[in-house]
Amino acid sequence: MNNKEAVKDPFEEKISNLKSEDLRKALQIFKEKINYDYAAFLNTCVHCGLCAESCHYHLTYKDLKSLPAYKLNLVIKVFKKNFSQTGKRISRWVGAEELNHHVVKEWIDSLFGRCTLCGRCALNCTMGINIPYIIRTGRSALAAIDLVPPGLQSTVDTALRSGNNMGIPKEDWLETIEWLEEELQQDVSDSKARLPLDEKGAGMLYTINPREAMFFPLSISAAGKIFYAAGESWTFSSDYYDVTNYGLYSGDDEAAGIMSEHLIMSMKKLRCHTLVLAECGHGFNSNRWEAPEWLSRKYGFEVKSILQIVADYIRVGRIDLDPSRNKKIVTLHDPCNLVRLGGIVEEQRYILKHATANFVEMTPNREKNYCCGGGGGQLAMTLFTERRLKVGKIKADQIRSTGAKVVATPCHNCIDQLMELNKHYKLGVEIKTVCEIAADALVINKKKTNTFHSLLSS
Amino acid sequence: MLTFLRYGVIISFFVCTISLCILVLKTLLFGKKPLHSEPQGVENKGILYAFGKGMMPWEKESAARHLPTYIAGILYHSGIFAGLFYILLLVIPFCPSLFLINALRILMLCGIACGVALFLKRIFKTTLKNISCPDDFASNILVDLFLFLALIDTFISIVRPVLLFTAILMLLYIPVGKIRHCFFFFYSRILFGLFYGRRGILPQKQRQFKV
Ligand code: SF4
Ligand code: SF4
Repeated sequence: MNNKEAVKDPFEEKISNLKSEDLRKALQIFKEKINYDYAAFLNTCVHCGLCAESCHYHLTYKDLKSLPAYKLNLVIKVFKKNFSQTGKRISRWVGAEELNHHVVKEWIDSLFGRCTLCGRCALNCTMGINIPYIIRTGRSALAAIDLVPPGLQSTVDTALRSGNNMGIPKEDWLETIEWLEEELQQDVSDSKARLPLDEKGAGMLYTINPREAMFFPLSISAAGKIFYAAGESWTFSSDYYDVTNYGLYSGDDEAAGIMSEHLIMSMKKLRCHTLVLAECGHGFNSNRWEAPEWLSRKYGFEVKSILQIVADYIRVGRIDLDPSRNKKIVTLHDPCNLVRLGGIVEEQRYILKHATANFVEMTPNREKNYCCGGGGGQLAMTLFTERRLKVGKIKADQIRSTGAKVVATPCHNCIDQLMELNKHYKLGVEIKTVCEIAADALVINKKKTNTFHSLLSS
Repeated sequence: MLTFLRYGVIISFFVCTISLCILVLKTLLFGKKPLHSEPQGVENKGILYAFGKGMMPWEKESAARHLPTYIAGILYHSGIFAGLFYILLLVIPFCPSLFLINALRILMLCGIACGVALFLKRIFKTTLKNISCPDDFASNILVDLFLFLALIDTFISIVRPVLLFTAILMLLYIPVGKIRHCFFFFYSRILFGLFYGRRGILPQKQRQFKV
């Protein structure tokens, strides 16, 4: 391992100060998180190494520590040592190891620092082991003893404290909506066009990634414009509107549950029937798939990605798009959490094929896509920035080889990483969300808008 | 002596099966809460995918990238099944036709060749060697030895006592070491299918956006 990249203070200190009761606590949480799926997986790896090249870390570094099987086996070792007879009795023979300071250090460096939880290895594992979920279990154990790398932990803390991961004060959020609403009215030449806020009984509650409010207001405008054109009954919430959930990455189910509960509170307060998740990969996986499990209960409402909604508008003719307004070559990056782990695969393609004149796929794509390198909380963990940029080269090369001038991606996390890659690898592309591209192609048909609007209002 | 060893094989087979069942029971004891998220796809379709298309080299990048290893793995396991079938014939006992014996010989020969090749790969490929533990090597040697003796036995039965003894050892070792994957493979692939099937990710047909 490069010295520069080695895990440094304050972790070194925290780790060396770990007491045996901390390790016991970590083990206890580790055990609690293991269900029979995981226990089966932890018994299954045959050390065949076939998963190696499925991981962008291994493709980049080509070293042992980046091998998915190595990362997985860091967890398996501890499982065997504590929960299997052979692991307890013939540890060395079956490769079992106790959770000690050294292993904790390796867990932090590998489970947090060399994995984006992208799930590409799981698809390629000979046995079908859900490697990222096992790696996340290791992260959960570390989270229990306060060993989540600082940047990631502070994102979680901010979301818990303020209701959104960027700590945007309520007044700022309301102000943002206000000026974006004025812009929308000018854009569509309709003084009645709105970005509704806290509208009780609206059909849909639309969530955003707080980065949109801070740095990418165009994403909010795009969604607002599409909803306007479709005559949709929707609303923002003034308090809880954050689609992200960094508890998915930190491994802290309790914190993750609280963040999901925030959105449920908004849904209840506003009596909406559909929770619409903005373009955010891990936000989709968290709120669509994981949150009901973190909370141990079913939602009483529908949860959809904005992509499903927009694709449906196009399909039923509720909005019209003019692809000639997007003439540049556009390619699509598939966010792992949305596609490979979330099952939203074709909708974004359907939208882009209707909204652009020149759409090209990158290779590989869909569930076989490569991670951009920004997932798994990597963007928040400055400790591993150098690695993040290095492993992103695979994505940069993929983009370059398409010849595209615009990269669409339905995830603000990916956008941040792609923007950095764009600069670092001099790609010379524009990075946009799918809705931004769709909004650029939108043909406003006031008659249609009004018809749907009055239909939904009645 | 042979009768004694035959009984030994039968007993070790039961010990192996019961131990594997206990292992499965132990995993089940970890429990699992029922899932609450609304499924988007069909789990059974995912399971079919996991055991069908999802294992094919044109679908699975790792299999395509490591085609020789992938094929060696298939042949190795076919050889092992042939060896186990041969042991069953010895234990019943049943005199097979020449055609059947020849088929088993071919499979076992391929199995040995591939087993040895995989063993050498584990020794010489550094990353693979570094993720391996003694159990990985021992399991391979034990199975290769078993196949070798079974193959010889189809020609000269003088090795039969050693073969049956090796079979006993192998059966008893299955639940202890990595050979337990002969069972956990199916368990894991089913879970794989359930996950991707439920989320409507795989098979791809499930997720077509209706135009
Ligand atoms: S989940 Fe992704 S980043 Fe993590 S080991 Fe697997 S392929 Fe690599
Ligand atoms: S492909 Fe699966 S079974 Fe093989 S080494 Fe990788 S994780 Fe283990």
